[in-house]
Amino acid sequence: MRRQFRDTVMDLAARDDRVVVILGDISHYLFNTFQEKYPSRFYNMGVCENALVSVAAGLGAQGFHPFVHTIAPFITERSLEQIKLDMCYNEFGGNILSCGASFDYAWDGATHHCYSDLEILRLLPGMEVIQPGSRKELDTLLRSQYNNGRPTYFKLSDHPHTIDLNVEFGRAVVMKDAGAALTVVTAGPLLANVLEACKDLSVNLVYFHTIKPIDTEVLARFRHTQFLVVHDGFGLREAINEMPGIRTWYHGLPDQFCVWYGTVHDIRRRIGLDPAGIRQAVTSFAAGG
Amino acid sequence: MHPSCKQIRRDILFSSRASGHGHIPTSFSVVEMIFAAYGSMKHDPANPGWDERDIFILSKGHAALGFYCVLAQAGYFPVEEVKTFGAFKSKFGGHPDRRKVPGVEVSTGSLGHGIGIAVGMALAFKLQGSPRRVYTLVGDGEANEGSTWEAIMVAVNLGLDNFAILLDFNKSQVRSLQIHNPAERLRAFGCEVFDVDGHHVDEVKAALHAGCGTVKAVVGNTIKGYGCRTLEQNIFEWHRKSPDEAQLEMLLRELDSGSSAP
Repeated sequence: MRRQFRDTVMDLAARDDRVVVILGDISHYLFNTFQEKYPSRFYNMGVCENALVSVAAGLGAQGFHPFVHTIAPFITERSLEQIKLDMCYNEFGGNILSCGASFDYAWDGATHHCYSDLEILRLLPGMEVIQPGSRKELDTLLRSQYNNGRPTYFKLSDHPHTIDLNVEFGRAVVMKDAGAALTVVTAGPLLANVLEACKDLSVNLVYFHTIKPIDTEVLARFRHTQFLVVHDGFGLREAINEMPGIRTWYHGLPDQFCVWYGTVHDIRRRIGLDPAGIRQAVTSFAAGG
Repeated sequence: MHPSCKQIRRDILFSSRASGHGHIPTSFSVVEMIFAAYGSMKHDPANPGWDERDIFILSKGHAALGFYCVLAQAGYFPVEEVKTFGAFKSKFGGHPDRRKVPGVEVSTGSLGHGIGIAVGMALAFKLQGSPRRVYTLVGDGEANEGSTWEAIMVAVNLGLDNFAILLDFNKSQVRSLQIHNPAERLRAFGCEVFDVDGHHVDEVKAALHAGCGTVKAVVGNTIKGYGCRTLEQNIFEWHRKSPDEAQLEMLLRELDSGSSAP
């Protein structure tokens, strides 16, 4: 997905000289071509995430469209106050694109995991929060949102799904409406596992790529059903819970750090977010258990 | 004391008295630095959004009352309005809000933020090929924040010669984490440093006008509460205090008599 980020930004930069890339000493070599083509609009600014966000806010204040990029926990949880005040409170726009998702950096351990970014950022007034699931979704949503003058967060993963969806900012995708009493909801790359897990189950399936604003129209359509949120982060369930009359259950992150190493797939398996684990959760819930 | 700066201090005292809110000592310590900055910048009080203006950012937002009174003196709004300071519907909060107060470019308050935004704006002007400049005033307490030094490192690394830091070195951190010899520290971080009397308008202006090939840091040696002996000698008691009528009279007398500590 990071390569897609680069390719899309390369294309946007060719059309819009207000596009500026700011890296926190990550993905530098991936952006070599960008640096060669647009040296005055490329900054590997260093390992100083607070400054990255503040500088981006200053650029946004003067009409530029900054793309700030580094590992998720450092740019969101560490720099929450900069996002909150320098961007949201001051109403200075800019794009924050993280990498690492919730636990892509499985092998590196929990210091590099980010479970709460979607949740904490969606609570900030004026913030847009996006978790694209595929390269195509990222491309579409970046193009539609990068220059809107608002602070916008994109949670990127190196393990995107490959399902071909046409997406629109703020509009959820109804993957399946089986007229069932249970609606399974997910967001981001985990869609692939959820689809596989639910392929022959009689459940409705709704997919979100935009966490804020949440698509209340789709939620209203399924309001009469029970909601099981299957997600590898916090924030989606909480966003849905703000819709009156909806009651949700959650299958995903435990209330503990994911202290195991290995790969993202190993951790998904350990916490029941592999297809088998999701299927078990959905069938168990559907059976009342 | 520069006569305009004495009047600004009078405005601060009257506004604090009328509103019941304070932060007088820190506002007094920055008067000449902000006054000198606005005396050196391109700006137009009749057109605060002028697209060729230079930018001033009060990174230590808690000196807002002093900032408002300098802006009023410059003609951005009548000083009488500042007497609503801190009231529910006032434009003038305890920390400045850019959406409410003409001339305020960035809403600040939490320390260590304004300076980073200032760096971004200075970079933006470089990218635009614009001659516009950015000035930011930070406090020595604010220099406790790591983000302040992150911003300085980034600015120096970018070679932003259109960017000036004014450090209000009023030694307020004697009670906690002191910044000893800030000029040396800023020099070590790559700034070109001008060590001046922060209450001497011409000295501050001369430093701001001096040629500089990189980030400029003007260390203003200041006194918290400067201009009133009572404030200077009781900075903790007066940190957020507003004077009653008798205290106002006393402070005005001290200000008029020039009874500052030497």
